[in-house]
Amino acid sequence: MSAVIQPGRVPGKATAPVTASGTRLAVRRFRRNRLAVVGLGVVAFFFLFCFVGPLVYSTDQTHTLLDQVNLAPSGSHWLGTDAVGHDVLGRLMYGGKVSLIVGLAAGVLATVIGTLWGAVAGYAGGWIDAVMMRVVDAGIAIPALFILLVVSAITTPDLTGLIVILGFVSWLVPSRLIRAETLSLKNRDYVLTLRAIGGTHGRAIIRHILPNSVSTIIVAATFQIADAILLVAYVSYLGLGVQPPSTDWGGMLSAGLTAAYSGYWWLIIPPGLAIILVVWAFNAIGDGLRDAFDVRGRG
Amino acid sequence: MSTSSYLLRRVLQAVVVIVIVTIVVFGLLHALPGGPARGILGPQATAQQITAFNHDQGLDKPLPVQYFYYLNQLVHGDLGTSYTLNEPVSQLITERLPKTLLLTVLSAVVGLVLAIPLGMWQAMRRNKPADYVITTLSFIAYSTPVYFLGLVLVLVFSQTLSWFPSQAPQGDTLAQVFAEPQALVLPVVAGAASMIAVFSRYMRAATLENLSEDYVRTARAGGSRSRAILWRHVFRNSLTPVVAMLGYYVPVLFGGALVVEQLFNYPGMGLLFWTAAQSSDYPVLLGCVLVIAIATVTGTLLADIVQRVIDPRVKAGRA
Amino acid sequence: MTATQRPAAPQAGPILELDGLGVVFTTESGEVPAVRGVSLHVAPGETLALVGESGSGKSTIALAAMGLLTGNARATGSAVIAGTQVVGARESDLAALRGRTASMVFQEPATALDPLTRVGRQIAEVIRNHRDVSAKEAATEAVALLRKVGIPEPEKRAAAYPFQLSGGQRQRVVIAMAIANDPALLIADEPTTALDVTVQAEILDLLRRLAAETGTGVLLVTHNMGVVADFADRVAVMYHGEIVETGPVEDVLLRPSHDYTRRLLGAVPRLSVAEADKAAPAAAAEAPDTEPVAELRDVSVVFGRGKNAVRALDGVSLAVHPGQTLGLVGESGSGKSTASRVALGLIAPTSGTVSLFGTDLGRARSRARRALRAGIGVVLQDPVASLDARMTVGECVAEPLRVHQKGLSAKDRRSKVAAILDRVRLPRELADRAPRELSGGQRQRVSLARALVLEPRLLVADEPTSALDVSVQQAVLEVISELQDELGFACLFVSHDLAVVQHFAQRVVVLRGGRIQEQGPTGETLLHPETDYTRGLLAAVPVPDPVVQRGRRAERLAALAAGRTEVQA
Repeated sequence: MSAVIQPGRVPGKATAPVTASGTRLAVRRFRRNRLAVVGLGVVAFFFLFCFVGPLVYSTDQTHTLLDQVNLAPSGSHWLGTDAVGHDVLGRLMYGGKVSLIVGLAAGVLATVIGTLWGAVAGYAGGWIDAVMMRVVDAGIAIPALFILLVVSAITTPDLTGLIVILGFVSWLVPSRLIRAETLSLKNRDYVLTLRAIGGTHGRAIIRHILPNSVSTIIVAATFQIADAILLVAYVSYLGLGVQPPSTDWGGMLSAGLTAAYSGYWWLIIPPGLAIILVVWAFNAIGDGLRDAFDVRGRG
Repeated sequence: MSTSSYLLRRVLQAVVVIVIVTIVVFGLLHALPGGPARGILGPQATAQQITAFNHDQGLDKPLPVQYFYYLNQLVHGDLGTSYTLNEPVSQLITERLPKTLLLTVLSAVVGLVLAIPLGMWQAMRRNKPADYVITTLSFIAYSTPVYFLGLVLVLVFSQTLSWFPSQAPQGDTLAQVFAEPQALVLPVVAGAASMIAVFSRYMRAATLENLSEDYVRTARAGGSRSRAILWRHVFRNSLTPVVAMLGYYVPVLFGGALVVEQLFNYPGMGLLFWTAAQSSDYPVLLGCVLVIAIATVTGTLLADIVQRVIDPRVKAGRA
Repeated sequence: MTATQRPAAPQAGPILELDGLGVVFTTESGEVPAVRGVSLHVAPGETLALVGESGSGKSTIALAAMGLLTGNARATGSAVIAGTQVVGARESDLAALRGRTASMVFQEPATALDPLTRVGRQIAEVIRNHRDVSAKEAATEAVALLRKVGIPEPEKRAAAYPFQLSGGQRQRVVIAMAIANDPALLIADEPTTALDVTVQAEILDLLRRLAAETGTGVLLVTHNMGVVADFADRVAVMYHGEIVETGPVEDVLLRPSHDYTRRLLGAVPRLSVAEADKAAPAAAAEAPDTEPVAELRDVSVVFGRGKNAVRALDGVSLAVHPGQTLGLVGESGSGKSTASRVALGLIAPTSGTVSLFGTDLGRARSRARRALRAGIGVVLQDPVASLDARMTVGECVAEPLRVHQKGLSAKDRRSKVAAILDRVRLPRELADRAPRELSGGQRQRVSLARALVLEPRLLVADEPTSALDVSVQQAVLEVISELQDELGFACLFVSHDLAVVQHFAQRVVVLRGGRIQEQGPTGETLLHPETDYTRGLLAAVPVPDPVVQRGRRAERLAALAAGRTEVQA
């Protein structure tokens, strides 16, 4: 799905600040959330799998091996081989690198853009805020998948281009979130006090508003990464994906779509499960972080 | 604020949003190398052909002029003509849009009807095994790419069990579509899955929040039973933020329809858009994006108005 | 309503009897006992006041008696209402009891009612929970109840949503719900704390009348000794989850036997009502000839535009002179906080001028305006929201130094912070602590230290102690006035508490609906007010002396009966 909403976020109130003891409390709360801890384990596993795995389990992912096409899982190929003879398990590691890197980078980029946009709009208020938020409304009005499909009709981006495009179609939700946070923070008593004694806007933003938004931003970024990884999975399907022989999980899935009707289930189930597991894990972590920081707003 | 002035302001906001959308899309389409002409005529086209094409299509004028030309056409209901289908875009969209709306509305209704009770049920069983199981399932449903889910549905329910056809209804009219209700099942399920996930989570959170409100305590102090409090008070109060959220969810539904229509070969606007993207049919792309944006903005507007109806505080500008 | 509907009158015994009641909360940091072995009783027709400061466990007792404790609380011992054991009772048995035999009125009328249900329906719901009447009958009865609790136009009001009613009216609706089935016991948990003083007086009158009419026993939970003096027959004083003293109201309030009760009563600021015990500081009561440090001239503030415009201030002129404290009093919505924010330059006046230290703020360039502000210190109401929880106490206090004395070395900054912490009587070691580790009173002193670290010429204090317990309030106020003597700053003191202002300010400005009602030296204005409004305001303040308060109440009711304008809640 395009990145507009994630499960269960009620728009609302303040954030527990991250102080020394606040952090300890947050860690304790997070560890009590079993789903979040499992999520953290799943993410750690996939990072090891994709980045350390190839060192242990070495496969040929560049050459076409026509003598071992579409082999079912066996002792020598645990997850079988695909239409050009690549080992699926090895390909899962190989493609996972791209999915994870692009997802992480795009999610972080979206959060950064959204944070800046939202913070400026919220702090400035008035007509600047009104104009900036209408732009966000306009962005939200065009579903991300439609934009990506239009882009795919125009060009085929490289990896960096892909990250930038994904970042630029998914910064809207975090921007609304950070704006709401900024609006509430700028009227906190300690900010009013600072303004009353002659503190500058810059000081209010840097010393008070940004530090107090950190937990909201971290939570937003986590969900944003989950969304971005999911979006990466759509990218190949929409024709924007990385070019062969390179691939990502979404690319493996799209490539296996037709083969699946012929019974080659091992071409789609492993990448499909990998996507679901990683996205699920980041969502679970985000959920745990949100409860731990007591961030309630999102959406 | 009175209802009429509220409506006026909201509609004006919506118009501003639509205008921004037209600028964005217009800019996006003109950013491609060689312009739309290269996309249509292909890489083999000569410079003369491109110049002639640009002149014919008014593409050699300055961008702002083209933009206002385009806006003027829009106001007259003219979205241009499809490069590949040689039909007015407005006509193509008029044919396809109702089918897409049918699919999205059905998905939304099915999603909400399941998600809302599910979320409340979870809230009542907070942190018990059932809650954990449904939370996990919700996240899984949310984390599954729609095309993967659709594929699995087809493999299981169509290929293996033969319960439902793997293709959506192919009819041109809504009546024909309704004539094959069983063919709608899989597309609707695929479209509704992530909605169930999102809104059950959302309803769960809203219900939990309301259960801890003071008014629940007041009702208990008056001798009301838990079940009565849940349905008479908590349910309605939890529903208000969910309705507001529904407005934001409209673009997600359309995004889902894009994939579902392609996957199940359902001749709605999503499929039209998809085909247009494959052939770089820019008038169609532009028209579809614009209509989708208008539909989204209208959906959000409707959600706001519904919220205003069910929550008297919103109307009074207090919430 | 109908006498026949009354639940069977209990045998002559008490309607509520607690015996060795204990409540333990399970929190993230372990088990916390909130109530320890409390025994008390309420007889039919009598009012027992349960008093104590925050955290004493008084509200927990009220909730435990109704079986309304939250999931993380566990009750032990015994709580019996009209022969029914509440501790450990099944939810369905409790539901049969609640709203019929025993009812409850809560502190926060803003949130106590379902925002989406019309108030008439909410009352009818309580009626139908316990009596087999038709929806129509219940609706009619709800209207009658609204009339009984003094809501004007009850037929129309029954169809209103809670947000369409004022705080006082909402509390009347909650009371109507509570008395819908003529309960034998009414538990009122801080029923007037969230209300203005004139509304408080009306609600207390209402509760007293209703209880007297039906012989209902009342358990009144409050921190306000004036309310106790006004309402209670007997008093139980709570401290750290235990009752330290019980007795008739005259004995406890006038001749307290326990140390804690004495200290508590000693800390309560008392409104002086006669010349003899003139408490107001006499110094500089008259406006001196000096140039004012802050001056508002004919200031109006309008929020919003067109039909929705709200005139928060209307032609307000006031001045704060060096060394002097100006008290700004008024009820909620009077514009007192807006006025202080205009003086601080946080809100620009729609018309009129504001000058600080002789310079017109509207004309000063931004750099000059910032420099002027070095002469201001600010303390706001909320001890939690006033300090950035991400900073240490030392960083909070040092912030004005970082703004205005950028050249200062870290060492000098530290020593200045240490010095000012000394002055507000906080240990220097607190500088390295997080605000969340401090108590409310300590936090307000940190705010004060931050406000005074630049040795300002003007301190603006907006309800600086109204979130604090009386004993803590007293300590904070003492620190402010001592430092004022030492440092000689002027003070703009915003408060809703007339007694505090009377003790603290030399001059007073009474605001109402954005306009100045009257102003003058505190001793004069608050003893011999010129306007009916101020007179009514003063008369509504309950004093913590049951004998005096009885007389004041009689006077006030007589004055109201004599045709003075009654401001409906």
